[in-house]
Amino acid sequence: MSDYFDELAALLRDRGVPAERVASTIEELAGHVAESGADPEEEFGPVAAFADGLGGDTGATGDDGTAGDERTAAAGESWSWTADIFADERRLNEFGEQGWEVDRVDRRGMFVSHRDPERPQRWEYRRETVWPEGRRAVAERLAPDGWEPCGTWFLYEYFKRPGAASVGPAAEIGSPPPAPGGRLFFSARFLLILAVCVLLAVVSMWAVAGFGGSGDDGAGFAAGVATGAGVGAVAGAAAALWRLTRRDR
Amino acid sequence: MSTDRRASWLKGVLDLLVLASLTEDESYGYEISKTLAEAGLGQIKGGTLYPVLNRLEEAGLLAAEFRVTERGPGRRYYRLTERGRETLTEQSGLWLAFDESVRAMLTKGAAG
Repeated sequence: MSDYFDELAALLRDRGVPAERVASTIEELAGHVAESGADPEEEFGPVAAFADGLGGDTGATGDDGTAGDERTAAAGESWSWTADIFADERRLNEFGEQGWEVDRVDRRGMFVSHRDPERPQRWEYRRETVWPEGRRAVAERLAPDGWEPCGTWFLYEYFKRPGAASVGPAAEIGSPPPAPGGRLFFSARFLLILAVCVLLAVVSMWAVAGFGGSGDDGAGFAAGVATGAGVGAVAGAAAALWRLTRRDR
Repeated sequence: MSTDRRASWLKGVLDLLVLASLTEDESYGYEISKTLAEAGLGQIKGGTLYPVLNRLEEAGLLAAEFRVTERGPGRRYYRLTERGRETLTEQSGLWLAFDESVRAMLTKGAAG
């Protein structure tokens, strides 16, 4: 194995890619250079930038035919973040005002975004609730107004359009603020619902534990079953809520 | 034609081209790059292709399976998922509509 692949494997592990995936990726890429006869660095670009592209979380999308170093420079600042369903559209437009363009929604529900370092411009966003078979019709309806799809999360379809479509050259941002420090933006409403779920879980466990404290074995067993069922039901409800109102990290 | 301009064009459509290269059968990275090159799209470097494959897999548009081969290194085979096929149909339609507008404008410009 060449130094390039050794270093790439270490970088992918550092980025949290599972060991099994790292091993198969390295084997896949080694196979590529074996078939093409190319030098790894020439084929894949500088190793750190390539690891970013494969790490899945950096937004270094690089689908422009260039090698990794050029790609990183072109991608500008990258940032992945998320918000719950009560806050996402507002946050998208807030960060869009700061020049952040969403490239996609990854499978964890993160908005993978980048900002042009030289000529950042404003972006506008909107969210539509669409069944999969209706996506095309919605995209076609919105396209004449400059909207293009930028990600999907379950039944939510996200669209973006450059600010230039509505305000012209004024969409360019003279001095953009620094990248936001956080990655999670949850609304008070979401946190309240989450708190109610936790409270329900605690109350149900307390109630059932009290019921099982009689010392009777049958009642104790029933209490155990009921506790498990109660906690499971609340956990299931919380998970469903999480899915619907979105995204963890 | 400048390389920069061609790279910009590819930027907007490479993910669709990768999806389109998998409509008939599954394939692996190097073979996909050869298919794209043979279609006249130029050589897509591995440094560009694999992050795109990774991203499409993450988005659930491709499914991948790593297979060990008897001789030589293993390969990860990619195939279109149902969602990938839907996305390809939907996005190809939008791209072709855009292409039609560009073509009409450029044809008019060249004739004038």
